[in-house]
Amino acid sequence: MPAEGISVIKVRNLLLVTVPANPDDETVSMMQDEVLKAMEKYESKGLVLDISTVETLDSFFARTIVETAQMVAIMGGRTVIAGMRSSVAITATQLGLTFGKITTALDVDRALDILESSLSERKSQ
Amino acid sequence: MRHSCEESVCIGSEGDIITVRKTVRDVATSLGFGVTDVTRIVTAVSELTRNILCFAGSGVMVLNILDKDGGAGIELIFEDKGPGIPDIELAMKVGYTSGGGLGLGLPGAKRLMDEMEIYSEINKGTTVIVRKWLRSG
Repeated sequence: MPAEGISVIKVRNLLLVTVPANPDDETVSMMQDEVLKAMEKYESKGLVLDISTVETLDSFFARTIVETAQMVAIMGGRTVIAGMRSSVAITATQLGLTFGKITTALDVDRALDILESSLSERKSQ
Repeated sequence: MRHSCEESVCIGSEGDIITVRKTVRDVATSLGFGVTDVTRIVTAVSELTRNILCFAGSGVMVLNILDKDGGAGIELIFEDKGPGIPDIELAMKVGYTSGGGLGLGLPGAKRLMDEMEIYSEINKGTTVIVRKWLRSG
C-alpha cells in the first residue's frame, strides 16, 4: 500500500514522484521503498523527485534522497530533484547539506526536459 | 530580557519530530518571522530533536518567546537526561558524528540560528539552547 501523500506516477519511461509537504521519517523511508519497487515494475529509465511542497528538508530527509538516487543509479536510472523552494535551498546550504552528483531542476517541466534529452543522447550513442 | 514560556513538547519517538516542527513553525510564523527564517528555525529544531532521539532516547523541548529592548525573539531549549557530550568542541565540528548521522546536526543548527549554548554533563544529560531574533525591516 502506498504511503500517505506519496504519489508515484509512471510517465512514459520515467517516474514522477511527488513528496508530501511534511513527511515523517517513516514516510520518507517508505518513499524510498515505493520508488525502487516502481523502478523495477515499470523498468523506468529515470526519476523526477518533485519536492516543491516540501517545507523542511533536514539531514535525514536529504540523506534518504541522496541514497535513493544512488540506488536508482545502480538500477540504471537517472534522478533529477525538482522544485526546491528558495527558503529550503538557503537552509540546506547553511546546514551543510550536499546533494552529490544529483541533478536539480527549477521545476518538473525542466526536470523532464533534462531526462528526456539525456535519454535520447544515450540512445543515439 | 523578558521570557514568557509558551509551550513544551515531550520528545520520545520519531513522530514527535513532526509535532515539534509544527509547534515551532506556528509560533515563529505568528511572531512575524519570514518564510526563510521560519524554514531555518524549523530545520534547526528538526536536527536538535533528532539528536535527542538518537543519543538520549527521550527529552523535552521548551519554547520561550523573548523580548529584548522591544525586539522579539524565539528561544528553544532542548533538554535530555542522556549520556552527555564528552567533548563539546569535537561535537561542534562539521562531519564529526558518534551516532551514525551526517555530523551536521549541532554545527548546522548553530549556523541556522543566531545564538547557541550547550551545557552537558557526562551521565547526567545535555541542554542545548538556541535563539533567533526578529529583525525589523
